[in-house]
This record gives sequence, C-alpha cells and structure tokens, in this order.
Amino acid sequence: MAAGGLPQLDVAKMQLVQELEIEMMSDMYNRMTASCHRKCIPPKYLDADLGKGESVCLDRCIAKYLDVHERIGKKLTQLSVQDEDFVKKLQGEQQKS
Amino acid sequence: MDEMANENPGKVYLSSAEWDEIGKYLVGNSQRYRENIIIPKSVGPVKIKTYEEKMIEAGFESCIFKSVMSCVLGYGLGAAIGLFSASVNPTITGADAKQQTAREVLRDMKNTTVGYAKNFAMIGAVFAGVECAIESYRGKSDWKNGTYAGAVTGGVIGLRAGIKAGMIGAAGFAAFSTVIDYYMRH
Repeated sequence: MAAGGLPQLDVAKMQLVQELEIEMMSDMYNRMTASCHRKCIPPKYLDADLGKGESVCLDRCIAKYLDVHERIGKKLTQLSVQDEDFVKKLQGEQQKS
Repeated sequence: MDEMANENPGKVYLSSAEWDEIGKYLVGNSQRYRENIIIPKSVGPVKIKTYEEKMIEAGFESCIFKSVMSCVLGYGLGAAIGLFSASVNPTITGADAKQQTAREVLRDMKNTTVGYAKNFAMIGAVFAGVECAIESYRGKSDWKNGTYAGAVTGGVIGLRAGIKAGMIGAAGFAAFSTVIDYYMRH
C-alpha cells in the first residue's frame, strides 16, 4: 500500500496537514542538531571554525540520524498497514456473521 | 461530524480514517530531505549551500589538498633553512679552499638548500596527510591526532636507519609534535 498518497481533503484540512508537516520537520531538525551537537562537539572551544574531525563526525551523525528516521518511519507505516488490514478483516467477519 | 462542523465553523474535524492516512503520509517519508528541508529560522537568515559550494569547500578541506599544501610550504621553509645552513656550515673547506670559485660555492649552496628543502617537504607532506587521515577516522579534533601523526612520521623517517632508530624517531617526533600543538593551542 502506498504511504505517499493523501486522501482528498478540502482546503482547511489541507492547511492543517501542511502546518503539521512543517511542525514535524522543524522539530526533527531541532532534535537532530541538538543531538549531534551534544555527541560531536566537545564543550571546550579553542577555535571558532569546525575542525576536520568535528565536521566528519557531524556528517556521519546527520546521515545516521536521517537513516534511522527513515527506517523507523517505514517500519511504523508497515505496522500501521498491518493493523488496518487486521481491523478491516475483523470488521468484514463481523458484518458477515 | 457535520453537526459539529456547523456548530463551530472555525474548527477542522478529521475522521479516524483520515488521521490514519495523514499519519502514514507524514511518517512514511517518500520524499528526499535535501530538497524539501525546513530549517527553522532562529538566529539570522537561513542559507543552504549549493552542491558546487559544498564540493569546493570539501576540496579545500580534503586530506590530499592539506598534504600538498604542507609539502609546498615545507619545501619553502626547508629551502630557507638550507640556505642559511649552507652559509654558516659550508661543505667545501680545508684542502679544497684554494680552488673555491664562485660557481662551486653556489653549487654547494644549491645542493644543501635542495637537500634540506626535500627533507622538509617530505616531512610536512607525510605529517599533514597522516594527521588528516587519523582525524577523519577518529571523528574528533583533539591533541592526540598530532601525537599519533608525529609518531608515524618519525617512524617513517627513522626506519631508513633501522628498526631501533625508527622507534626512537617515532617517540621523539611524537613528543615534539605534542609540544608544538600545546604551544599553538594555549
């Protein structure tokens, strides 16, 4: 089942969905920067610029974060699809009996 | 659902099935992030660098570029030191002093200068390259990178004269590198 499609919604509902999406993405960005900053940049600053080691660490941190985000999202959609199918099957059997 | 919408015209109500679909759409992430990223503006304007800018910056920060730069700078510094050393420590002395012509003196100076310059260039290139590689591998920028790189460089240089000389060279160069790093950082 495609996870990318939205059902047909009118303007107000679409606006709500867009606001939700913006909030979700900026929340993810803030968490990602806070987490990678905590992991990669030691608290004692000797220099204003990022050193080579720090930028390499940040690259890896961001890549891992987005990878984990993607995998968990796929797993969640898969689980919710399974849930939906199960519920529909139950409803179908209830209506038959 | 319609009665509630008629009572409160400003609010939007969504059914459970719609919530499910919206949830799957938001979490399912079918889009790539770099084109659709949303960066909240907290301190000043938000600038996302283009791919070309990132490539250029990556080139200037790469290990190979740093190694080449260090090699060139080492060559220059070595030439200067070699020139000075040739003047205070000439190789033509003693019995040949009578046949010293300007050409021979200049040739001697050139040989000493080029010899020193090549040595320094090699040291610089190896040290910078190894330090950059170790830093990229570890992912940290602290004082240990210089020490490890110094150990490898000293080992490489000293290995020409045997294993024991290599070990002593490694230890010595590592200590020297640590001292220089400490001096530069504090």
